[in-house]
Amino acid sequence: MSKASTVLIYGTNLSGYRIAYALGKMGYKTVMLNRGAYVDEVRNQVLSQLPFDLCWACAYAPQRLFVGLGAMQIMYNAELLELKGEAGNFTAKIRKRDAFVNNYICTECEKCVDACPVTVEKDGKKQKAISMMPKMFWENIFLIDEENCTQCGECETACPTGALKINPPVEEVEIEAGAVILAPEFDEPGEAELSHFGWGSIPNVVKSSDIARAALATNFTGDSFKRPSDGKLPQSIAIIVTPHFNEKGIEYENCNASAQAVYRANKIKEMHPDIDVSLFCRDYKCYGKGHCRMYEQAKDSGVQIIRTEKLALSAANGEKNKISFKPGGTNDEKTVDMTILITGQRPPTTMERLSKVCGVTAESHGFCNIMPFSSAKTEVDGIFAVGEFTSPKGNPETIWEGYGPLREITSWLGGKSVEKPKPPVLRDVSYEKTRTGVFICSCFGTFSDKMDLESLANRVKNFPHVAHAEIINGCCTPSSIQETAAKIKESGVNRVVLAVCTPTQKMMKFRKTVMMAGLNPLLSEFLRLREDVIQVHTDPAKMGDKAAAMIYAAAAKLKTARAMPTLMDHMGATVLIIGGGASGLEAARYLGAAGYDVQVAEKTDHIGGMADILPIDLEGHEIQKYMTQLVDDIAKDTHITVYTNTTVSDVSGYAGNFHVRLETKDGETVVIDPALVIIATGALESKPDLYNYGKDERVMTQLEFEQKLANKQITSGHVAMIQCVGSRNPKKSYCSRVCCSAALKNALILREQNIDVTICYRDMNTYGFKDDYFQTAMKKGVSFLRFDENQYPELEASDDALKIKINDISDGKEKNISADYLILSTGMEPDRENNEAFSKLFDLNLDDDGFFDVESCACPYEDASKRIMKPFELSSNGVFVVGCAHSPRSFMESVMMARQAAGKAMVILPAAKMPPPNAMYVSEVDVSKCTGCGLCVDVCPYHAREIDPIRKVAVVRPFLCDSCGACVVACPSSAAFLRDQREDQLIRSIDGLLAI
Amino acid sequence: MDEKKEFTPSIIYGLCSWCGTGGSETAGAMHLQYAENIRPFRVPCTGAIDPVYILRALIEGADGFAVSGCHPGDCHFDSGNYRARRRTAVLKSLLDTFGLDSERVWLRWVGHGEGKRFADTVNEFNDHIKEMGGNPLAKRRDT
Repeated sequence: MSKASTVLIYGTNLSGYRIAYALGKMGYKTVMLNRGAYVDEVRNQVLSQLPFDLCWACAYAPQRLFVGLGAMQIMYNAELLELKGEAGNFTAKIRKRDAFVNNYICTECEKCVDACPVTVEKDGKKQKAISMMPKMFWENIFLIDEENCTQCGECETACPTGALKINPPVEEVEIEAGAVILAPEFDEPGEAELSHFGWGSIPNVVKSSDIARAALATNFTGDSFKRPSDGKLPQSIAIIVTPHFNEKGIEYENCNASAQAVYRANKIKEMHPDIDVSLFCRDYKCYGKGHCRMYEQAKDSGVQIIRTEKLALSAANGEKNKISFKPGGTNDEKTVDMTILITGQRPPTTMERLSKVCGVTAESHGFCNIMPFSSAKTEVDGIFAVGEFTSPKGNPETIWEGYGPLREITSWLGGKSVEKPKPPVLRDVSYEKTRTGVFICSCFGTFSDKMDLESLANRVKNFPHVAHAEIINGCCTPSSIQETAAKIKESGVNRVVLAVCTPTQKMMKFRKTVMMAGLNPLLSEFLRLREDVIQVHTDPAKMGDKAAAMIYAAAAKLKTARAMPTLMDHMGATVLIIGGGASGLEAARYLGAAGYDVQVAEKTDHIGGMADILPIDLEGHEIQKYMTQLVDDIAKDTHITVYTNTTVSDVSGYAGNFHVRLETKDGETVVIDPALVIIATGALESKPDLYNYGKDERVMTQLEFEQKLANKQITSGHVAMIQCVGSRNPKKSYCSRVCCSAALKNALILREQNIDVTICYRDMNTYGFKDDYFQTAMKKGVSFLRFDENQYPELEASDDALKIKINDISDGKEKNISADYLILSTGMEPDRENNEAFSKLFDLNLDDDGFFDVESCACPYEDASKRIMKPFELSSNGVFVVGCAHSPRSFMESVMMARQAAGKAMVILPAAKMPPPNAMYVSEVDVSKCTGCGLCVDVCPYHAREIDPIRKVAVVRPFLCDSCGACVVACPSSAAFLRDQREDQLIRSIDGLLAI
Repeated sequence: MDEKKEFTPSIIYGLCSWCGTGGSETAGAMHLQYAENIRPFRVPCTGAIDPVYILRALIEGADGFAVSGCHPGDCHFDSGNYRARRRTAVLKSLLDTFGLDSERVWLRWVGHGEGKRFADTVNEFNDHIKEMGGNPLAKRRDT
C-alpha cells in the first residue's frame, strides 16, 4: 500500500504552523484542525506566554499563501474523533463546522455589517450583530455575535461573493494522512488554578495576557494599564509570577515567566514613570538572551523587585489588593491599586482525549510523553507531538520544534502531492505603443454605493496617458480574477492601473490578475481606492478629485514602465558545518541522512567537543552513549566529510553560492562551495579569578568537579557550591543556563554517597520540569543558602578547611560553613576571538556579550517579524548559528537547535534554482551611467551590491536584494534604479498627483 | 482670514510600504476621517525618498510634503528610516537657504497599527500648511 502524502495537524500552536509552512514549501499537503471558530481564536492564548508584545502574525501569516496554492486546508470548529491505521496510512475521522466567513473569498466589503438590522450596545459602543475585528494579521475578521444574532439571513443575502454562511452545517469527514502532528494550543491557567491569587473574585487582579491583548488593540499606549474597576490609571501595580507561589493550582513555569514580568514592569515604567511598580517572584529566572539586561534596566528604572518564598493576596478597601509576603523570614505587606499575574502553564486539557484517540500517553506531569533525545516523537510511530503539548515552553522552543522533526515526518510520507501551478505565458509588449487601461474595482457593487465610479471612469478616460477605463467587479476571488484578466485582455491594453484596495494583503492576487492577462506585473500599478478614498472621506466631489489624481499619477508613472523577467539563481546543495561538537555533528547527521552532502570543519584533532566530557544531564540522559552513536553514524555516512585540524580562512559569495577556503594545520587548502553554512563553534567554560581559584586545588569549577566525580575521586567530605560566580552582573550580563542544573545534578549524585552538600545561590534557575529536581534535592538533604546579589559569600581558606561566610537572606542570619571542596558555578563564556573572526568572515553581528546575534529561531523575538517569513528561510543570509555559539545552551537544547537549523536547510536545499526573494522587483544598474564610486555598496543593508573589479561598475546580486531603494537615492549619477520605481517614473507620478 | 479658511493646500504624503502604508490602512479599517487634499505617494522605504522628489513637488507647486515610515529601530530594511531622518534634516536646512520654508516638510513616524496617529498627523499637517498659506512658487510662471 502506498503511503499517504498528507499530514494532519491537530491544533494551531506556533509549531504546528511552522510545520505546515515547511511542508507546504516542500510540496506536501497539510490539513490543519483549528478548534476555534476563526483563524485566531485559540491563538490569543499565546499572548500570555509572550515576553514581548508581538502579535506573531509572522508565524501564522503564511497560511493564506498555502491555502491559496491548495497545499493547506484548514478546518474550523474541528475535532478529531477517531484515528485508525498505522504510520504512513492513517485514516482520521473529523467533525468540523466551517467558519461563518470564508476569509479566502471575503473581500472585506462590509456589506454584511451594513445589512445587519440588529444593533446592540457593547462597552458603550453601538455595534451590529456582525462586526469586524480589525487587523488580525493582514486581514480584518468578521465575527457574528451569536447571542444577539436573529438569524434573519440579511448578511448572507448581502454578501456579494458568497463568503458568508450564517449556518454552516456540522460535518463529518475522513482524511487519509501519512503522519499526524499533535500541536494543540497552550492551556492558560483559569479561575481554578489562579484562585490562590483571587483572580476572578478579587477586583483589579488581571492576567498578563489581558494586558497583552489590550496593548495590541491600543498599539501599546498607556491605556492598556487601566484599572478594570474604575478605568483609571493605577498609582501602584504589583506584578506576581504566579507559578512561584501557587499553592492551590497546578501551574508550571514556562520559559519566559520571569522575563515577561520584568518586561511588563519596564514597559509600565517607560510609559508612566510615576507608577510604583513592585515585582514579586521567588527567583528571577533570566536565562534567555538579553533577559539579564532587562533585569538591570528594571532596577535602574526603579522597579522594586521583591524575592519571597510565600505570598498571599487579599482584597483591601477601595478595590485595592493587599499582598502579604515573607521576605527574609519577616512578615510584610503591601497594598496596591492593581495586580498583574504572570501566569504559567497548566497541563494540557486535550491530553486525555488525544491519548484515547491516538494512543499517545502522558508523562508524570500530565503533558504528552515523547521519546528521550527526540524533540517530537511519541510512542506511536507516525504521530508527533510538538510545542506546549509536551512540556511547559516558551514561544522560541515552540518554534524550533516546527523544523526539528521534519525529516522524521517526511519519512512517513509518500510522494509530494502539491505541484506549483505553472506561471501564465506573458506577452512581449516592448514593440507596442503604450496603451494604459484603468480598471476601477467596484468590490461587487460596494464601492459604487459609496462613490460615483461611473463619472470617475468617464473622467479618467480623458486623461492623456489613459487609453481605456472600465469598472470591474473585483480581482481578489478566483472567479473575479479570471473575469478581470479576461477584461484586460479584451481591452488590448499593455499597461494596467488597478484602482482597488490594499496591496499589503492582496498584492499576490492583483499581480496574478495582471499576469493572467498576459502582462508582466512591472507594467501594472495598484492604488488603494478603498483605504485612501472610500473609507476615510465622505465629500463626493473631493473623493472624486483625490481618486482621479491618484489614477492620473499611476497612469503617468506607467508610461515608461518596462517589462523584465524574474531572474533565477543557481542554488547549491551542500552544507558546510563549522565546529564538530554535539550540535554541529547532530546537524551533519540529520542532513546526511536526508541525502545531502555535508562537510564538517573542526578546529581540533577530534570531533565531539565539550559534550565529550559531559557524562549525564539532570534528567538522566546518557550523553556519552548518545555521542558514541553520533560519532559512529557520522563515520558511516558517506555523505559526510569531516575535516579535523581545519580552520576557515576565507569566505566569499552569498546564500546558495558560498565559496569557502578551508585550511588544515599542515597548510593544505580545500576549497568548497556550500549553499548554506551552519556555525556550531560552541563556547568556553568561564575561569574566574575569584575565590582562590587556580591557587587552591580544593577550589574548582563545576565542570572540573563533574569529571572528578565521574572518576570517583570524591568520596567523602563536605562540598560547598557557589552559583553565579562572576556572572549575572553588569560586566557579564547573562545567565549561563546550565549551571543550576549541573549543581543540582552533582549535589544529587553526592547525596547518593551521603556526602554533605551546601549550595549557595542567588536565584535557582531551574525551568520547566527541572524545578522538580530542586524540590528533590531539598528533600534529600542538600542544604540551600541564599545570598544577595550585592553580597556574595566570602572565603577564608586555611590548610584544614575552606571557611565560607554567607549572609542567608531567606532568614536574614549570617552563617559559616566549613567545607572540604568549593565548587564554583562559573558558566560559559563566548569564544570571543573565534566569534569575532567568524562575524567578520560571514558578516554577522555579535551581541553585547560576544555571542552571535543572528536570528536562528532559537531566540526569535529579536526580529522575528521581519525575518521569519522571508520566502526562502535564508533569514541570516544562508548562515545559521546553533548551539552555544548563539547563546548558552544545555546539551539537549543545543541538539534541538541543530535539528531545527538542519530542518530549515532541508526545506531550502532541494531547489536547484531559485528566484530572488523579491522576484522581479529588484534594483539594477544602468551601466552606461555608473562611475563605480561604490556609494551604493556602502549603503546597501543586504550587501547585495559590489563593484565589478574589471569593469569598475556596480553589480547587483538579485538574490540578496530586498528592493529597499537605498542605493537609488545614494547614487549620484542616477545609475541605480528599482525596476518598478525608476526615478523618472516617480517624478512623473509626483507631477501627476499635483495635476488635479 | 476667509481666504485662509477656503485655501485648500495640495499636500503630498510620502509613505513607506510597510509602516506608513500600514498606518494609513489601519486608519481606513477604523474609518477615521481626514483631509481629502492629501495625496499618498508610496515608496518602498522612507530611505528611498530622494530629496529630489520633495524639491520637485515643492517646485511644482505642492504646498507641503509629509513623510511617514517605521519608528526608529523598526525599519523593515534595518536603517532606511535613519537615513531618511538625516536626509530630511539636511534638506530642511537647505530649504530655508533657498527661500522655501522648511516647515513645509514634515517627517513623522507612524507605525503599522497607528491608524489614529496617521489621521491625526494628516489633519495636523493640513492645518499647519493652511496656517502657513500657499507655496509662493506655485504662482511663479518660471517653475
